[in-house]
Amino acid sequence: PTIPEGLPGDRANNRDGVLVDEFGLPQIPA
Amino acid sequence: MAHWFHRNPLKATAPVSFNYYGVAGSPAANKICNDLRTTRARLLDMFTDITCTPEIMKNATDAYFSLLQGFIASLDGGTQDNKMRYIQNFKWTDTLQGNTPSAQQDMVFELVSMSFNVALWYTKFASRLAGKENITEPEAKDVHRSLKVAAGIFINLKEVHIPRLITPAEKGRDLEPRVMDAYIIQCQAEAQEVTIARAIELKHKATIIAALAYETANFYQKADHTLNTLEPECSSKWRKYLQLKQHFYMAYAYCYHGQTLLAGDKCGEAIRSLQEAEKCYARAEALCKEYRQTKGPGTTAKPSEQLFFIKLGGLIKNTLEKCQRENGFIYFHKVPAEAPTLELKASYGLAEPVPFELPPLSEQCTPEVYATFDLTRGAKNDKAKPKEEEVKPVKEPDLKPQKDTGCSIS
Repeated sequence: PTIPEGLPGDRANNRDGVLVDEFGLPQIPA
Repeated sequence: MAHWFHRNPLKATAPVSFNYYGVAGSPAANKICNDLRTTRARLLDMFTDITCTPEIMKNATDAYFSLLQGFIASLDGGTQDNKMRYIQNFKWTDTLQGNTPSAQQDMVFELVSMSFNVALWYTKFASRLAGKENITEPEAKDVHRSLKVAAGIFINLKEVHIPRLITPAEKGRDLEPRVMDAYIIQCQAEAQEVTIARAIELKHKATIIAALAYETANFYQKADHTLNTLEPECSSKWRKYLQLKQHFYMAYAYCYHGQTLLAGDKCGEAIRSLQEAEKCYARAEALCKEYRQTKGPGTTAKPSEQLFFIKLGGLIKNTLEKCQRENGFIYFHKVPAEAPTLELKASYGLAEPVPFELPPLSEQCTPEVYATFDLTRGAKNDKAKPKEEEVKPVKEPDLKPQKDTGCSIS
């Protein structure tokens, strides 16, 4: 699948340092 | 329809005029009272306005609360209560108790009750949006955020403002801890439902989906258990909803856990996991029927006939058939008698409530204006009225789900 386009404000690192989207899911799916 | 959520009715309240003749001893004091009346009325209107957005709701809430705080916060620098805090009697119904209102002569009770309704509005806004066909990604984000905002409001009320009330809430009323906890957990679980739908749509790993579904099922179970000591006539319908969602998401968890097991060449265990998913799904289906037949506050629906429900049934069936096919051709594993133990911990997608903060105090509420309120001059206010104001239930807009096209959140 295509990687969703995230707005700058959507992106953050979770506590493990993984880049996640606004829903708390990894930015890069499996 | 992408999602379906049960909703309890909004709280209803008696009108308040904030007419304190004699007590409000200056034009500026009178203006505060007038503005309190109009901003309160506007906020109440917004609860049932179908065109209201979160931005409009926030503005309406801030306008009223920035003034209301002038009757709660200490304006003279002292540690004593604001002298106006207990001047007005407020009546509010409770979401599970029909039209019988609770009443307290306390501005904090008003703040808490109104905030509670604001949180309910966010959950209803989210429900309406989530039930739409062709929901867009920004809309999905709005649903997710609205549910987290609602959770944040409920938490703030429970931890900060409800403990300030002089009179504790009676059993089964909205402000008692069990009811508050159930609302908080439900909001978080529903936000996670949106995340699960997105994770499936974007084809995230089965382990991520299974873990989040498992935790979400546990949230629903916790909310249900929180309510198990309430009177059944007011809580049964809500509890049926929480139970059916619990089993529905356990079915999801076993289904995706089965996919993980199959990917790890554990075909026998995968089949058993899928069989357990079937059981949970069947239980959820039975609970859907019970939900529909249970009388009580809240919405009426036939969730098991909605596409979101039917789709999971198809997914479980197809995945189980695939596992059985592969076992017959490749693995020849024995199917265990016991279902696999789910010890899944979600690392992704858990919904964090958005912290709620009251707006700053209105610039109108200065110590100088506050000093012109004179309680010794005797208020001719609403509490002095001999006639009891009737609290009519809120006429809520039609929140019935729209035509189901099978589109899901992307």
